Amino acid sequence: MNPPEPSPPLIVGIGASAGGLEAFRTFFRHMPADSGMAFVLVQHLDPDHDSMLVELLQRETDMPVAEADDGAAVEADHVFVIPPNASLTIDAGRLGIEEPAPPRAQRRPIDTFFTALAEDQGENAICIVLSGTGSDGTLGVRKIKEHGGYALAQAGADSHAMEGMPHSAAATGLVDEVLKIEAMPDKLAGYRSHLHAAAAHKDSDGTRTDAREHLDAICALLHERVGHDFSQYKDKTLTRRVQRRMQVLQVETMPDYLKRLQKEPGESDALFHELLIGVTQFFRDADAWEALRQQVVPGLFKDKGAGDAIRVWSPGCATGEEVYTIAMLLGEALRDRDVRPRIQIFGTDVDDNAVNFARTARYKSLPGVEPERLERWFVENGDAYTPVKSLREMCMFSPHDLVKDPPFSKLDLICCRNLMIYMKAELQDRVLRKFHYALRPDGWLFLGQAEGVSRHARLFATANKKHRLFQRRDAPTQSMHDFSLPGVAPSTDARRPAPRPTRRSEDDRLDRYARQAMQKYSPAYVVIDRHHEILRFSGGEAGPYLEPSAGAASFNLIGITRKALRPAVRAAVQKAFTSGRAAIHDKIALRVDGEARAITVIAEPLDADDSLCVVAFQDAGPAESNKRDDQDAQPGVAELEQELHTTRVQLNATINELEATNEEMKSANEEYQSVNEELQSSNEELETSKEEMQSINEELQTLNAELTSKNSDLNRANGDLQNLLESTEIATLFLDNDLRIKSFTPRMRELFHLRDGDRGRPVTEIVSRLDYADIKRDVKEVLRNLGMAEREVRVEHAEATYIMRIRPYRTVDNVIDGVVITFIDITDRRRHEAERARLAAIVESSQDAIIGHTLDGTITSWNGAAERIFGYSADEAVGQPIAMLLTADQSDLLPEMIERLKRGESFSTQADVVRKRQSGRRIDLSMTVSPVTDREGVMVAASTVARDISERRESEDHRDLLLHELNHRAKNMLANVQSIALQTFNSAPTPEAFKDAFNSRLTALSHTHDLLMQSNWRGAALDELVARELAPYHNDRQRQWTVKGKAIKLNAKAALALGLGLHELATNAAKYGALSKEAGYIEVKWQTRGGRREGEPAALHLTWVEHDGPAVEKPERRGFGSRLIEQGLEYELDAEVKLEFKPSGVRCTIDVPLDAATQDGSDMEIS
Amino acid sequence: MATAPQSAINGMRILMVEDEMMLAMSLEDLLKLLGCEVVKAARVAKAVKLAETESVDGALLDVNLAGERVYPVAAELDRRGIPFVFMTGYDVDRLDSGYHGRPALQKPFQMDDMVRVMADAFARQ
Repeated sequence: MNPPEPSPPLIVGIGASAGGLEAFRTFFRHMPADSGMAFVLVQHLDPDHDSMLVELLQRETDMPVAEADDGAAVEADHVFVIPPNASLTIDAGRLGIEEPAPPRAQRRPIDTFFTALAEDQGENAICIVLSGTGSDGTLGVRKIKEHGGYALAQAGADSHAMEGMPHSAAATGLVDEVLKIEAMPDKLAGYRSHLHAAAAHKDSDGTRTDAREHLDAICALLHERVGHDFSQYKDKTLTRRVQRRMQVLQVETMPDYLKRLQKEPGESDALFHELLIGVTQFFRDADAWEALRQQVVPGLFKDKGAGDAIRVWSPGCATGEEVYTIAMLLGEALRDRDVRPRIQIFGTDVDDNAVNFARTARYKSLPGVEPERLERWFVENGDAYTPVKSLREMCMFSPHDLVKDPPFSKLDLICCRNLMIYMKAELQDRVLRKFHYALRPDGWLFLGQAEGVSRHARLFATANKKHRLFQRRDAPTQSMHDFSLPGVAPSTDARRPAPRPTRRSEDDRLDRYARQAMQKYSPAYVVIDRHHEILRFSGGEAGPYLEPSAGAASFNLIGITRKALRPAVRAAVQKAFTSGRAAIHDKIALRVDGEARAITVIAEPLDADDSLCVVAFQDAGPAESNKRDDQDAQPGVAELEQELHTTRVQLNATINELEATNEEMKSANEEYQSVNEELQSSNEELETSKEEMQSINEELQTLNAELTSKNSDLNRANGDLQNLLESTEIATLFLDNDLRIKSFTPRMRELFHLRDGDRGRPVTEIVSRLDYADIKRDVKEVLRNLGMAEREVRVEHAEATYIMRIRPYRTVDNVIDGVVITFIDITDRRRHEAERARLAAIVESSQDAIIGHTLDGTITSWNGAAERIFGYSADEAVGQPIAMLLTADQSDLLPEMIERLKRGESFSTQADVVRKRQSGRRIDLSMTVSPVTDREGVMVAASTVARDISERRESEDHRDLLLHELNHRAKNMLANVQSIALQTFNSAPTPEAFKDAFNSRLTALSHTHDLLMQSNWRGAALDELVARELAPYHNDRQRQWTVKGKAIKLNAKAALALGLGLHELATNAAKYGALSKEAGYIEVKWQTRGGRREGEPAALHLTWVEHDGPAVEKPERRGFGSRLIEQGLEYELDAEVKLEFKPSGVRCTIDVPLDAATQDGSDMEIS
Repeated sequence: MATAPQSAINGMRILMVEDEMMLAMSLEDLLKLLGCEVVKAARVAKAVKLAETESVDGALLDVNLAGERVYPVAAELDRRGIPFVFMTGYDVDRLDSGYHGRPALQKPFQMDDMVRVMADAFARQ
């Protein structure tokens, strides 16, 4: 044996999803960098993001870590990582990348890679399923195992790891080890070294050469332990599967494994399951199934009435995919038919687990099933698909051993694909004969690609060679000897050699011609098997020796040989089979065409196969005449002979009779066996049905319990809903698609005149109080576009408004079944809305700032006046603390205000605030702060009404000022009057004089006041002042005075002082001066000019000159008038006054500084 | 017949600050009658000058002098320790806050009142 070549590296595919990073890290932390293996990591990655995985993992291992490139060769001691948004495959040791990844729903990158890895690398492939949710990787594990690879799954879960994926993978039962990540590197190394060691024992196709000798022992052990006989499985198959177990257990030699198998009971189960690894999936070899559908399925329905059943058997059904596939095909065919026969599909398998799985039928994924079929035949149930009820009902599953258990019967179709390839030829023969038996005439057999019935052309006709479709031929009654019955140890006859093919050589043409030529010289013969069944006739010459008997047609040689020959034939055949050598019986008398002939019967076992025998009939010429013998014989002898002859004839008759009886018995026996067999089948079927029924029963009980609980839930939910509907007082109406009333809530009666009896009547027939005629149209609209319709409807003759909403009614199955119409009374809402709008308008239009705020002072509403007063917009203010409106020196008021608020007090206060915008000037505010309470009187917020009282405050101040001023003036005036009275009194000689003088002075004062009033006390014109004082003095012809001077306006003070002064001058003139005579007159003139002295301010220069009056004498005593003019004016106006009593008349000059006379002091300040 | 207050102010030299011509004349007559010597001013500027320079025993101060307030004069008098009495047509409590409580006469006033207030105010010295 050659030393092993440097073998290609083991390729370890590692799949992970959620929690995968930590798992990867742990793995590489424990994996030596020189393991000689290559690692390919498949992670579920977000297609839109770059992955950091390469960087992160490079920190954990010395092996180069790289993102996988398309076409990259997978080398040992390298780590490859799937790139984002791609599918990763492997072909001939090179990675393949397909971008982009398939849509999310179909993305199973781990399965994809594992499958490719399995197909590419076979037993060099290792897959590991690490942390992740879902079930990606599970199918991949199956593939890896089918191809002889090695599979590991992560055990348990810590805080990072998710056990969904590894759990799902482990649930297949195919994973070799479920263990902690830390232990994985050791296992991998062990597996690798085992592979190397085992390679030495392998032949070119990788099968161990040292296994065969131990197979019998293993099979025997298995038969003993698990009751299944695998001895008829092909050696190669057996060897490979055993080899697999050895790899897993890392056992080097077959004897070691055998020991292990003997010691550990669990191992026999493990090997058993290994042997049963099914390779089945839905619509495997889709073309073949299509052929079946077209060629076979229609025929199955022919001649079947509704009461009949189409019976199908799928032996070795594994986890049931094939069964459901058939069921789908038949179910689809059934759909197109009027007459619908019952469909029964029996799925059987030796593996209980598989059968249970098939019964439960929870498939994680359904590759091969087209989306329409998936939609039609499966429902998603949690994380798996289960067949719909109608599909499930067609299928029955039961454990059944095709090898040792009797078959089903009267089947229309047997579908047994890729099971016989594991069997040796002899077992295949038996199985095919079983199938032949089990099928009804013209029943169909559907085999796998690598299987055929070529050696049983008599039993089956090939209908489609490519897709292995065969049809049962009507063959002679099947002998039941080949069916081992339960309880009969299969090993007793199981391992006998299979019949050798016999026909091939005969097909040789030369042979055939030679045989034709020689036929007339050679004896007629038949070839029979051990059971005397004729397998071949030589030709027509056998006719004289054979004689078909009445009853069922038979090829049993003994049965159809002419009676005269039977004893000889039987004896010869028996001898030949027993001895293995030729047996010859000659000189057997037989009448052929009325002529007695001597016949030689030769039975010769075939050299190659001692189970077959040739029986030849040779005509040895005319029979020797008895007469000659008679002549020679003694009379006594003749008598004896005669007696002997008679006896012989009798014996012959007896023998014949016996044989006939024997044949009949045999036939009856076979019939009974067949009946028994059939009964067994029926029984088996019944058992299957019974189990099926039990299982269904259990299911039903479970379902029933579930339904009961669901029912009570529903009752409760219904009650809840009922209460809900009634308590919400929302009028609700349920209509079906034809607008018929399904149900309604009590409130509905107010809107429609509904009674309980109205259920089922179209709503359009019922009088509505609503002002709404389009209900039909709206409902149809909703049903058409499945949207929602909303209308506001009013009740006729009433102030009530409803919001009506029409929505489609969806059943829990999401089927639209009518509509739900709800009516929500919004009358109050409408009223409140209007009221609210009105109040809002009032608030908004108020001149007072109305601010809503929370109890702790956060502003919640802000009206237009607030914006005007404070300068903040609503956006700026809402959400801010109200303290921002107060100036810093007042902000300490706030806590107290809030405290008062919280006590429920409502109060007014005054505050200064600074406006934010427009110069930030202070404004005076009157604020009323009130708590806002809800209906229960609980304080929920507060409001502040602020009024800008700056102007009012100013006008109040102004009024105060005016009042004080008035008071002041009045008092001043009184003081003045007091003085005038005093002075007048002092200078008046008599009370009458006092009265006149006092009156006239007050009048003058009053005139000046009048003048000042006209200008609102801003002053008076000098000419008017003069004119008013002099107005009383004119005679009939003319005025006795002239006035000349520029218009000049005096201030109030100067006007009053000058007014008094002029009055005194005028009074004096009237008493003693110019005005006391008719011709006298007074000339008053004034002008303004510079100051009297250098640098002095400008002054008003006024002169009073009297003309043509009486001669004036200088008075002896200065009166009040003179004093007032001379001292008063000087004192008060800082004037310079010169009063001269000239004989020609009084002359007075007054110089008043212009400032003092005209400067407009405040109009108020006249004291 | 001279009363006690009258005799108390007899002979005093009084600064009279009053801008109202008639009133000033009456007051001057009255003070002279009471035996006082009168120094008079109608405007603040002049009154301040007099308060700084004249030696007087007391002063009568009209609060409002042609629109001006008499307080600079009061301040100067205070500085020199010369007592004074305000005369005002306003309420006496509208005096500047610094002069609240100082002697004051509310116009129009009785002569007796004036004499008494003056005697009280000036006699304290």
